[in-house]
Amino acid sequence: MIWLTWRQHRGEALTAVTVLAVLSAIMVAVGLPMHASFNHDIVQCIDGSAVDREVCSTNLAVFQKSYGFATGILTLLNVLPFLAGALIGAPLLARELESGTWQLAWTQAVPRVRWLVVKVVALVTLTVVLAGAFAALITWFRQPLDAMYGRNGLDGFDVEGLVPMAYGLFAFALGTAAGAVLRRSIPALTLSLLAFVAVRVTVETVLRPRFQAPLTLVENIEAGSRGIAIGTGNRTDWTLDEGFADASGQRLARTDINSLDDAARDAGVNLATYMHDHGIQRWVDYHPAGRFWNFQYIEAGIFAALTAILLSAVIWRIKRRAL
Amino acid sequence: MTTVEADHAVRTAGLDKRYRRTWALRDCTLTLPAGRVAALVGPNGAGKTTLLRLLVGLLAPTRGSVEVFGQSPATNTATALSRIGYVAQDHPLYRRFNVADLLRFGHACNLRFDRGLAERRLAALGIPLHRKAGTLSSGQQAQVALALALAKRPDLLVLDEPLASLDPLARREFLQVLMGAVAADGVTVVFSSHVIGELERVCDYLVVLNHGRIALSGDIESLLADHRLLVGPRTANNLDHTPSVIEATHADRHTTLLVRDGGIPPAPGWQPQAVGLEELVLGYLRLPAPDGTGLAAEDSEDAA
Repeated sequence: MIWLTWRQHRGEALTAVTVLAVLSAIMVAVGLPMHASFNHDIVQCIDGSAVDREVCSTNLAVFQKSYGFATGILTLLNVLPFLAGALIGAPLLARELESGTWQLAWTQAVPRVRWLVVKVVALVTLTVVLAGAFAALITWFRQPLDAMYGRNGLDGFDVEGLVPMAYGLFAFALGTAAGAVLRRSIPALTLSLLAFVAVRVTVETVLRPRFQAPLTLVENIEAGSRGIAIGTGNRTDWTLDEGFADASGQRLARTDINSLDDAARDAGVNLATYMHDHGIQRWVDYHPAGRFWNFQYIEAGIFAALTAILLSAVIWRIKRRAL
Repeated sequence: MTTVEADHAVRTAGLDKRYRRTWALRDCTLTLPAGRVAALVGPNGAGKTTLLRLLVGLLAPTRGSVEVFGQSPATNTATALSRIGYVAQDHPLYRRFNVADLLRFGHACNLRFDRGLAERRLAALGIPLHRKAGTLSSGQQAQVALALALAKRPDLLVLDEPLASLDPLARREFLQVLMGAVAADGVTVVFSSHVIGELERVCDYLVVLNHGRIALSGDIESLLADHRLLVGPRTANNLDHTPSVIEATHADRHTTLLVRDGGIPPAPGWQPQAVGLEELVLGYLRLPAPDGTGLAAEDSEDAA
C-alpha cells in the first residue's frame, strides 16, 4: 500500500520537493548575506548598545533598501503550504473517481477504508514534512526581520513556526474532501482554494486578535514633545489598534483628533502640550511579542481540528457507500 | 460450509437499490449456482451495472440482501474481497502505470495474487510488461484488466460489459482467455452485455434484467426447452393476458406467440417452433415496464 501510494503520488511529491529545494537555495543565497549584514550593522542598533545613532539610521536605511523586498516575497509564500496540501489532496480521490479506477482499487483485497486511511496517513506525513521544512526555512531566514519588525503579519506569523504545517494539512483535507464530492481534480482544487482563503481570512481577521484578551497600554502625553509616540515601544509587539482617550477615559474618534489639532492651533500651543493639558492620554491595544508561540499553538490547533473533521467526514463517506 | 458454498455463488433476496430519488433496482431475487457462466443481459439503463456493483461490494443495497458464497460483499472485508474478481466497464486501469506496475499493484493489494500466472497470460498474448497501460490498445487493456482479476484467483469473476469497447477479433480473443480460465479454475462468472449473439457460445446461465427488475433467469438449456413459439392464424383475442403467453406478435395473416408452457400439445391450428436465445431475450425485453417504476439510467449514474 505504501508502494502504491508512492507510485500514484510521486509526481506531486517530486514537484513539491523540487519547488522546496529551489526555494531553499534562493532563501539561503539571500539569507546568508542578510544575516551577516544584520549581525554586523544592525544588531547593536536595536538592542540599544550602539553609540552612534546616525550610523545606525544609515545602516537601517541600507538594510531596508537591500532586503525590504523580502517582506513582499514572504507574503506571497503563503500560497505554498496551500499548494503543497491541495495538490496532493485533490487528486487522492478525484483522480480515482474521474478515471473509474476506484472500481479497480476498491475491489482488490484491501478494504477501501483501510486503503483510504493508509493513503491519508502517508500523504499527511508528506504534507507535514514539506510544510515543516518550509516553515523551518522561513523561520531561519526571518530571524533578523523578526527582531527588527516583529513576526505578526502575513509575512511573519503565517509563514513561521507551526502554522504552515497546519495550513498545509487543512489544504490537504480540503482538497481530499472536495475531490470526493466533486469527483474532478481541477474543480476540487478551485473549490479548496476558495474555501481555504475564506477560512484563513476569517481566522486571521476575526479570531486571531481574540485568541487572548489584548493588553492595553495607556500613557500620558508628554507636554512640549515634538511628536507623539506610537506603539508600545517594543516594535515586535502586535499592535491591534491605538488612539487617544479623553480625561474621562472615553476613546476618541479620528474626527475628534482633527478638531483637537484645530483647537491646539487656535490656542497657539503644540498639539502634544494641548493634549497633555486637557488630560488626553494615548492608548494601545496589543498582544505582547511573547504571545507568539501561544498564538501559534491556538491557530495550528484550529486548523488541525478542521483537518481532522474534514478527513473523518471523507472516511465516513467512503465507508458508508457500501455499508 | 463447503457444500453450501458449492451450491450458490450468488444469492440475492428482495434487492432494491435507489440513487437519491430514482430506483435502479427493484425487488431482485436471484440465485446463481456455483460454477456457471452467467450472462446478465438487458438494455442500457436496465440496472446491470448497479446489480454487478452490488455483487462486488462497491455499492450497498437500499433494501434486501446480497450474498456471495454466503458472505455479504458490502461488509468489504479482505476475505470477502479476495474471493471476487471484478472488471469494471471500460476496464479502468491506472494509465500511467506500466503493466509490471499494475501486477505489482495487484500483488500488493491481494492475499493470494498469482503474479506468475498473470505474467504468463500476458506474455502469451504478447503484451509487454514495460508498456504504460495508457498506451495499450483497448483490447490489450481489457486483457490486462482480465489478467489482474484472474490473478486474484477469485471464486466469482464479475465483468461489466467486457466486450463493449472491443473489435470483433479482440472480443474473440478475450472470450477465449476467459473460457480457458473457467475451464482451468472452475470460477463462476457473471458478465453483463447488451449483445446477445456472442453470449450463446460461452454462457450456460441467463439473467434478463429490464426496468430494474429481473424479467427472466435460469439455466439456458431449460429456458429454451420451456419456451417455444406457436404460429397460428391471426387472432384478435388479447392473448397477452394468458399466463403462459409471454408475447404475441401479429403479422398480416399470422399471429406468433412466445409461450412458456413446458411443451404441452398446442391447440389445433397452432404450429410449435423452437425459440432461439435471442428471440427469447427480446421477447422478455419487449414486455412493458410495470407501472410506477422510474429508473435511473445506469450509465449516467456514477457511484454516488
